[in-house]
Amino acid sequence: MAAISATRPVTVPVEKAMEPILVVDDIFKRFDTQDGGLVAVDHVSFDVVPGEFLSVIGPSGCGKSTLFNIIGGLLGGYEGRVSVAGETIKGPHPSIGMIFQEESTFPWRTVIDNVAFPLEIAGMAKSERLEKARHFVHLVGLDGFERSYPSELSGGMRQRVSMARTLASEPKILLMDEPFAALDEQTRLLLGDKVLQIQQELKQTTLLITHNLTEAVQLSDRILVMTYRPGKTKRIVDIKLPRPRTSEIVGSDDFGHYVAQIWNDLREEASKGLKDDESRRGGAKRK
Amino acid sequence: MATTGNLTAAPLAARPIVSPVTWLRIAIIAAIVVIWEIVAASGWLFRDVVPSLTKIGRQLFLILTHPDFALQVDVGLGNFRLAFDLMIPEFYRHLWVTMAEVATATAVGGLAGLVIGLVLGANPFLSRAFERFLYYLGPTPKIIFFPIMIMWFGVGPGSKVAMGTISCFFPVALTAAAGMRQIEDVLIRVGRSFRASTWQMVTKIYLPAMRQPIVNGVRLGMGVAVIGTLLAETKLSNRGVGFLIINAYSTFDMPRMYALLILLFVVAIGANALVARASRG
Repeated sequence: MAAISATRPVTVPVEKAMEPILVVDDIFKRFDTQDGGLVAVDHVSFDVVPGEFLSVIGPSGCGKSTLFNIIGGLLGGYEGRVSVAGETIKGPHPSIGMIFQEESTFPWRTVIDNVAFPLEIAGMAKSERLEKARHFVHLVGLDGFERSYPSELSGGMRQRVSMARTLASEPKILLMDEPFAALDEQTRLLLGDKVLQIQQELKQTTLLITHNLTEAVQLSDRILVMTYRPGKTKRIVDIKLPRPRTSEIVGSDDFGHYVAQIWNDLREEASKGLKDDESRRGGAKRK
Repeated sequence: MATTGNLTAAPLAARPIVSPVTWLRIAIIAAIVVIWEIVAASGWLFRDVVPSLTKIGRQLFLILTHPDFALQVDVGLGNFRLAFDLMIPEFYRHLWVTMAEVATATAVGGLAGLVIGLVLGANPFLSRAFERFLYYLGPTPKIIFFPIMIMWFGVGPGSKVAMGTISCFFPVALTAAAGMRQIEDVLIRVGRSFRASTWQMVTKIYLPAMRQPIVNGVRLGMGVAVIGTLLAETKLSNRGVGFLIINAYSTFDMPRMYALLILLFVVAIGANALVARASRG
């Protein structure tokens, strides 16, 4: 049912041999720039089965965020097809909930009203949506902060508000674009724990876009490694670490083994990016 | 409990009752008063160019209390009819005229500016086409339009309202357009990802996100509406505080002119404080 490209290594474990809920099929996106064009995503295909946690990892400039916006339905003009439960998406799909990299809470709304936002948009009655929002505020561990404004919270807490807001819309697929990029390492690991806990509790299908290796191995069932410009699939790695997991797993040998293995792939791509960057700067200087 | 009490009490006790800043302010005001009185008493300047503070104070008192204007009161209820002349100080009548002019100008100019600003902020094409005009006309002294406004709206309050409206329009339109463009892109993407309709985007994201720039624009607009209106009143008019001031000046009643200026100053500060308070709420 899912058209799988020839280059994609077939590593479907037995327990995942079910119908994929999200199919990303041969996506190609090119941006027109002044010096020709830039291929951001070059024929990327993968699929996600229900309950799975898949991470897409790649160096900066590999078209990760472009892919995020395409799957979220915020960016058009691409070749290929994204489908949710067999239905091709045209624009933002109700089954997909996005969590953005940037600070995205509404500063004029309290925590509870932020979380209730998608329910308000859907036209749910006030008492009902507040009750539901309270549940998700509790889920991300922000009880007691319902009436606070985002400006009164820390960066990590604000990102949890964004997370609760997206979860409140009860998406079948959670789509995250480096949601912890702006946070420090410790907060990042602890929030990773929270994500793991919630994901395991809700059996939430999740697609995480990241450039952070530790984060990807800590959270994922599978990791898709992307190449540097143009962004292609380099490899898909199964992470067979036991579940339920916590951030304590970061210290284990198996964890280190996975990190080393993926870093090997990633290093090659990241250094291409670095070289490209340096030569571009050098070129600018010579002019 | 006891320790926290000590901690908060200690800095309070150490702090002087009147801060150095307050002392400096008092000193500066006192110095101005003293110098003013010396100049007034010295006879260095032409008589009454700098009148003594007691003269100004007496005028201030007269302006606020001396009933020199007959306000025609005429109330009717069924067969009952009450008509009489109420004697009030004419200052209040002129103040009322000016305040009504400024309020009308702020409402009309502010609303027009808001609508135009939102359209320009939302539409890059129109913004490129027209926003330059706003930038050029915005800082132009609006008083140059006053002769035209007199021809169109007469010497009465109409031309003053028009002047205030023109003054208010530009800052509101420019801040609204800029405010719309400064909305964080991610907030708009959040709205779209939850599939908000256009109406929901406007009412639940654009307008709340622009609240501060809009309030600032209206504050700025009201400030320049006061300037535009008063300037027009001092040029050619038959009513309003600006008219009173220029009237005192042309009859060379300097104590009265200074007294009126002080009153105007107090009214302006009060109005600004009110708007500041409303905008915080």
